[in-house]
Amino acid sequence: MVSPAIALAFLPLLLTLIIRYRYFFVLFYRAVLIRMWKDCVTGLSREERAFQYVLTHATPGDPDSILDTFDVWCSKVEFISNIGPKKGKILDRLLMEHSPLTVLELGAHCGYSTVRIARSLPLGARLYSIEMDQRNAAIAEKVIRLAGFDDDTVELIVNPSDEVIPQLRSDYNLERLDFVFMDHWKKCYLPDLQMLEGSGLLGKGSIILADNVLFPGAPKFLRYIRKSGLYEWRIHRATLEYSKGIRDGMAELVYQGIK
Amino acid sequence: MSTAGEQDAGLSLQEEHESKTHRTKRRDGDRQKKKRRNERRKGGTRAGEGEEDLQAVSEKRERSKRKRAKSKQETSRRENNEEEEAQLTGGKGTKARKDIRNEKTRRMEKEEVREVEENVDKGKKKQGSTKKGEKKEDGGKQLVKGKAREVKKKKHKKAETSSEPETSEEDDDEEEDNDKDVVRLECLSPEELEKLKEAVDERKKLIQSLRGKPWAMKKKLVTLRESQEFVEKYEGALGKGKGRKLYAYKVLMTKKWMKFQRDFENFKTGCSIVTVASYFLFLRWMYGINMILFGLTFGLVMVPEALMGRPYGSMPRKTVPRAEEASAMDFAVLWDFGGYAQYSVLFYGYYNNQRTVGWLKFRMPLSYFLVGVGTVAYSYMVVIRTMARNANESGVGDDNSFNFSWKMFTSWDYLIGNAETADNKFASITTSFKEAILEEQESHKDDNIHLTRFLRVLANFLVLCCLAGSGYLIYFVVRRSQKFALDGLENHTWWERNEVNMVMSLLGMFCPMLFDVISTLENYHPRVALQWQLGRIFALFLGNLYTFIIALMDEINLKRKEEKIVKFNITTWEASLYNGTVSENSTASPVTIHPADVPRGPCWETMVGQEFVRLIISDTMTTYITLLIGDFLRAVLVRFLNYCWCWDLEAGFPSYSEFDVSGNVLGLIFNQGMIWMGSFYAPCLPALNVIRLHVSMYLQCWAVMCCNVPQERVFKASGSNNFYMAMLLVILFLSTLPAIYTIVSIPPSFDCGPFSGKNRMFDVIHETLESDFPPWFSKVFSYASNPGLVLPFILLMVLAIYYLQSTSKSYREANVELKKKLQMQNEENKRKNKRAALKAQMDLEEARMTAQEQQRNNNASVQDQESGSLNSNINKEY
Repeated sequence: MVSPAIALAFLPLLLTLIIRYRYFFVLFYRAVLIRMWKDCVTGLSREERAFQYVLTHATPGDPDSILDTFDVWCSKVEFISNIGPKKGKILDRLLMEHSPLTVLELGAHCGYSTVRIARSLPLGARLYSIEMDQRNAAIAEKVIRLAGFDDDTVELIVNPSDEVIPQLRSDYNLERLDFVFMDHWKKCYLPDLQMLEGSGLLGKGSIILADNVLFPGAPKFLRYIRKSGLYEWRIHRATLEYSKGIRDGMAELVYQGIK
Repeated sequence: MSTAGEQDAGLSLQEEHESKTHRTKRRDGDRQKKKRRNERRKGGTRAGEGEEDLQAVSEKRERSKRKRAKSKQETSRRENNEEEEAQLTGGKGTKARKDIRNEKTRRMEKEEVREVEENVDKGKKKQGSTKKGEKKEDGGKQLVKGKAREVKKKKHKKAETSSEPETSEEDDDEEEDNDKDVVRLECLSPEELEKLKEAVDERKKLIQSLRGKPWAMKKKLVTLRESQEFVEKYEGALGKGKGRKLYAYKVLMTKKWMKFQRDFENFKTGCSIVTVASYFLFLRWMYGINMILFGLTFGLVMVPEALMGRPYGSMPRKTVPRAEEASAMDFAVLWDFGGYAQYSVLFYGYYNNQRTVGWLKFRMPLSYFLVGVGTVAYSYMVVIRTMARNANESGVGDDNSFNFSWKMFTSWDYLIGNAETADNKFASITTSFKEAILEEQESHKDDNIHLTRFLRVLANFLVLCCLAGSGYLIYFVVRRSQKFALDGLENHTWWERNEVNMVMSLLGMFCPMLFDVISTLENYHPRVALQWQLGRIFALFLGNLYTFIIALMDEINLKRKEEKIVKFNITTWEASLYNGTVSENSTASPVTIHPADVPRGPCWETMVGQEFVRLIISDTMTTYITLLIGDFLRAVLVRFLNYCWCWDLEAGFPSYSEFDVSGNVLGLIFNQGMIWMGSFYAPCLPALNVIRLHVSMYLQCWAVMCCNVPQERVFKASGSNNFYMAMLLVILFLSTLPAIYTIVSIPPSFDCGPFSGKNRMFDVIHETLESDFPPWFSKVFSYASNPGLVLPFILLMVLAIYYLQSTSKSYREANVELKKKLQMQNEENKRKNKRAALKAQMDLEEARMTAQEQQRNNNASVQDQESGSLNSNINKEY
């Protein structure tokens, strides 16, 4: 039997691990344990709970208030991996700078980022938002309408992204995408990017913004953009939404085309 | 251009003229540029314009070249450092490169246009590949052109160009289609082969000497790439007949090896030479020292004893006791260095106290003592010498004055050849800038100083708690092990028996991690934080070591008490034995008793040696096992689980382990300290350490290369080398202290070791002086060791040291002064130059003014004259 003294010698290691990875433990607790418990207790999905909270606490028709309420819920009550206020500022800035007319959003989730993008779009711009999950899409729809954006501004497409992207040109009469925001499955970043390249929707100067490229992370995506040479890219380093210690980043790609 | 511009500004008088020349110049420049561009296009203009045939050839050349480039991109087999780096720099780098590339692409586009024009033509050419005659003609023309190109490319080589045109021709044909080339190569004549070989050698030479060429970087790159391509292509094919394959294989292997070396080089430089490579350099240096220690102990102590001393089994101290004989060869016992290992040359107790051994009259005890002293003396010497050399190298520079510009211009490492490293470097530069800015801000305002102070105090408190806890744990464990030893070790499990070593190794490994985590509380500058961290680890190791030694001292005292009892018992036993034999048989000589049956005292020296050897072994094992589990296993898991995990394991949470340089260096230092401490009682320790260092060199090297990532927080710990050296010196001193204490104050065991029977170990010197040297020598020695002589000598030495130190101090001050003076002079020169330039400008202005004035005057005078003449005319008319 291992003697207790040797076991005690492992105490520093244990402490080190706990302290060093505390943010991850907290995240695990908030994102997984609380969610499971609340799912059992309320019988609603997480997104539905968030929507209920927003409905009761936010001012309808005011996107800012809705976003704030979402932030409060996500940081105080439960955890949803929205883009969050800090990284959202980067997104806002990019949108303001470039004022794109056609925007594609991959992964609407529960509408937070959709509202965020739609809020800072110029007049006459149109946002296509793709969401795979039916229930999430329903909530996203409600949130978007609650924020006061109509069908002309935001179009929600309920389908997997890999099915929608090849159809964009034919079904939605799109010629060119000015801005693409990726926040869906991290594994789909690369195939979807390649699909976008293949579809010819990207023109010179189109901007692609990919969230969460460091955590949970999309290594293949990063490797690809590093090597492809089609893009001028940079990574905005920030922390994970609603969490201080976990580092994350957003990749900003500017399509240069083939030279 | 710029000079022209200046002149423009200066001489507005000749403005008209100047601008004209300027314009023409520019036009000339354009023309030149165009010309150059044309030349670049593989001598399209040079080899005669309008000749369709030739154009086609040049076309082919371009195409082949482009093809080559393309294939290179695709396979990316040749990973040129520069190329890679360019890719790495990514977002930042591409911008800068784009300009260059634009130039290139423009040219490419033009070429493409031409290509389109002549596509049809070439199609014809391709079809007519059977037309050998035409081809030959091509070749002939290429020969000329190739020559031209070669001459242009290698201006420095004039004579040997004769072989090159041919090779370049080969090159082009080869590019066109490979199959034909193989056929061609095979039917080459020996002379041609010879020429080819020559060309290959030449290219190789060129590649080697390329770095020192005064060319533009671009040209260098192009030349390098072409030459490498060439060499690669033809080197393998140069062998004859059957040997060719072997040769090709050999070339392939050497190429692989080169690539590996380059990768390693990249890695070394990639993760900042100061950090990881410095550890390995330190390890190698340590290895050298240990080799010498090993040579001393092995050559002067172990081998003579093994060869010339009394053989095993001849004496009680050289025999395994009867009680242990049964288990003396068990692996478990040998692993603990008991049994046969204990009764061998590996430990102190085996050595005999006879003055001379063998026919060489080798003075064993003296040699043993002198080697013990000599190893320590040698270590002191080497460490101090290295420190002095390092101090010279570091010079007198103040790093703090131009912080930002240093960072700005020197932080990028141009040798980085690895994507992750580049990313990390980028991040580290950014963070270092952030830190520097923060620091600058903090030095101006300190708003939350109380919180910071509180946190720092708290962190130190926590660290102290940690240190105390670990010290107590070790003390507790050692006490327990003594209890176990009293009970008899056989009754306890392996875990309990090795508790001390295990706990020491584990604490030494895990506590630094905890310190590292705690130190984030303090919010120090990384360099300061590193120093704190090192200091804490140092304290931890030292505390652990000294707890261990104190416990050992207790044990030594216990053993000595036991020894007294045993000594008493032995005399009575001998007496009884003698009496017994006498009573039984009065005439016979005393009965010979087998040495294994003779009772013997507990040899505390051997016990100490064993403890140290066990400590070293367990330390080594822990290091290796953590390397395998913590680094290798983790790397494997991260690497392969990453395919099916829901987040990026490589970048985020577990990630790969980082190579902890400071911890590893300190581990090495303390390991060395243990060697120094224990090697007097266990001559085998340097040998063990040599093996350990050798293995760990390669094992850690492998681990670093394949399962570690470079540290994210890379910073230059300038002068840290000497910091480590100073630590080594302190450890050396601290580790020789207990050894010297035991040698001086504790009498050696009565029945084991080379000094048995003496009152103190150093009595061996007296003995030698008295018996081996002439009497006058010992007399001189006794005079010399008289306190009346020694004290003044020491005083003199102290004075000398003081004098030297003060002079060095003044020299340093003078150095600083000189530096300041240089700086001042520099500034003065700059000011003078500026003034001179200003004055020149003023003069010019003045000259221009006067010139204008003169002109005006002239004009006026001319007008005057005219008017005067007119007047006179008028006057005349009247």
